[in-house]
Amino acid sequence: MSAINIEQIQQQVLTATTLQLIGRGSQLQPTQAAILDMSLYQGVIDYHPQELMLTVKAGTTIEQIKQTLAVNNQALPFSTSSSTIGAAYAMGGAEFRDAVLGVKIIDGQGRVLNFGGQVMKNVAGYDVTRLLVGSKGKLAVICEVSLKVLPLAYVAQTNTSNSATVSQPSLLKQKIADGLKQVFDPKAVFV
Amino acid sequence: MQITQELLKNLPKHIVLQGDENTRPYECDGLSVYRQKPLAVVLPETVDQIKQVLAICKQFNTPVVTRGAGTGLAGGAIPLENSVVLGLSKLSQIKSIDPIAKTAIVEPGVRNISISEAVAEFGLYYAPDPSSQIACTIGGNVAENSGGVHCLKYGLTVHNIVTVKILTIDGEELTLSRDDDGLGLLALMTGSEGLLGVITEVTVKLTDKPAQVQLVVAGFDKVGDCANAVTNIIQAGIIPAGLEMMDSFAIEAAEDFAHAGYPRDAQALLLCELDGESAAVEAELKQVLNILSDASSLTVAKDEQHRAALWQGRKSAFPAVGRLSPDYYCMDGTIPRRYLADVLEKISELSTFYGLRVANVFHAGDGNLHPLILYDANKPGELEKTEKFGTDILKLCVDFGGSITGEHGVGIEKLDAMCHQFESDELEIFHQIKAVFDPKALLNPGKAVPTLHRCAELGGMHVHNGQLPHPELERF
Repeated sequence: MSAINIEQIQQQVLTATTLQLIGRGSQLQPTQAAILDMSLYQGVIDYHPQELMLTVKAGTTIEQIKQTLAVNNQALPFSTSSSTIGAAYAMGGAEFRDAVLGVKIIDGQGRVLNFGGQVMKNVAGYDVTRLLVGSKGKLAVICEVSLKVLPLAYVAQTNTSNSATVSQPSLLKQKIADGLKQVFDPKAVFV
Repeated sequence: MQITQELLKNLPKHIVLQGDENTRPYECDGLSVYRQKPLAVVLPETVDQIKQVLAICKQFNTPVVTRGAGTGLAGGAIPLENSVVLGLSKLSQIKSIDPIAKTAIVEPGVRNISISEAVAEFGLYYAPDPSSQIACTIGGNVAENSGGVHCLKYGLTVHNIVTVKILTIDGEELTLSRDDDGLGLLALMTGSEGLLGVITEVTVKLTDKPAQVQLVVAGFDKVGDCANAVTNIIQAGIIPAGLEMMDSFAIEAAEDFAHAGYPRDAQALLLCELDGESAAVEAELKQVLNILSDASSLTVAKDEQHRAALWQGRKSAFPAVGRLSPDYYCMDGTIPRRYLADVLEKISELSTFYGLRVANVFHAGDGNLHPLILYDANKPGELEKTEKFGTDILKLCVDFGGSITGEHGVGIEKLDAMCHQFESDELEIFHQIKAVFDPKALLNPGKAVPTLHRCAELGGMHVHNGQLPHPELERF
């Protein structure tokens, strides 16, 4: 189903045995899991050009964000091939991770949790906001994302190519990833 | 103690310190109002020796407190009573520099400034510049995700490291890189305050030294006008390398101390530094001077020497304020910048309420406030009052949508404030993350994340009963 508010997302997480999260244009994996379509949970929540800060719902398209920012001669500090911000967050990459400031998630137990915030500097608690970038929808539902944005002139000069090293993780790294899956999604709802 | 004997048996004698005299230098960090001697201090010279220390501590179920230079301001490196301090200052080699890739591989005990010194010949430097940079180590910087005055443009530690090698409590080696596929484990490790692993090597990203640097100093009759100027500069599409504000008390104290030539009658002072290619800096300077044309005073640095002198006032703000009072307490909250004038107003009200003076210096570009509360530790109850004032300021920052710490970390200092910023479900997630890496809670236990019990108790009693005496030392 398509969720249009936090309560509906929460309801889905709490009732489904297994759940596959999709955004706009996602490739569906053939599974028995129920589908949670996030593309209608979209829109700009907060945008303060003078703070270089933007908060959006996960289903907001990259295109819409670009248009919003362009009005103030600002732009996203990363490049992405994803069509929504939720998908860009899920797929990850170092550039995206550099830009993200805060996140509202719903974990596998249906709990609404907030990490990070809307400020540039924030070292309270572990950096869950950046940890979950690249979690591919397997640890939690990403509901809202706060980002640092830049004046247009600074984007061209800071943009670098994004080259995630896809390699077989070490046994220890795999063990840690499995442990973290247990923390955020102990009943393995997200597939 | 049995564990000390075991350490002495397995490690070179000169790297194991025990006894009151020898461990005293390690009894506190930059938050020196709290002190505690450990069972022993070990100063390893190799990664293998770190492994041995971890193995012995695990065997004896003894907590390990990892330490760099001990310059942290939140008590993150204060020993626990039954702990071993693992001091990494002897691991201080710069292993390699790659001027083409603009990276350097360094041991954890390398001082922040010495990286920039070592790579200067290639026209490069390491961007994060915490004010303790002549002393603090890169391992400590990664553990705290340290900042500095240039974060708005150049980012925090997390933006300026490429790879970190750590040892888990089990002595297993883990290499975490910026470009790893999947979860952001490097980001998780950065700022984890020594609770998840021991950092043994860091690959840092180096930045090109700018061709030109220009500094403008502007005085304002009203704090609000200064805050507006900051907004207007950023709205004009300029990201200054540094954007610092000081209030009238801080201006006077700094001027008395450093004679930087600041306008004493100003209510607020703005330092705006621009850097980059010469043409771009000149163009931005014109724009900035235009934006600041309403300021009550305006100074552009004439040359490099003048620029250094103008910075000296801001950089000596802490010791300058320290001269006016037997003790001072430095806070580290962040707020969305648009609330600056409101927050300063509230801090001023709190200052009157508690009867304690406060000077404000502010990384205005990234919303990071450093109120300095002046107090006298020898007056009974004044430290407790100061801490309560500090906690009120941090709560204020959270209430305005900010955070209790921008760059100093939580340590033991802000455990209570953490209860205000996070809900119990979120704190529980933090505890579970620690358990993934360190199930027996041997790495710096009790720091950074408060127990749910502690928060519950505070919720019930914090309003009028004041702070519990030394709560952080008794409840691990």
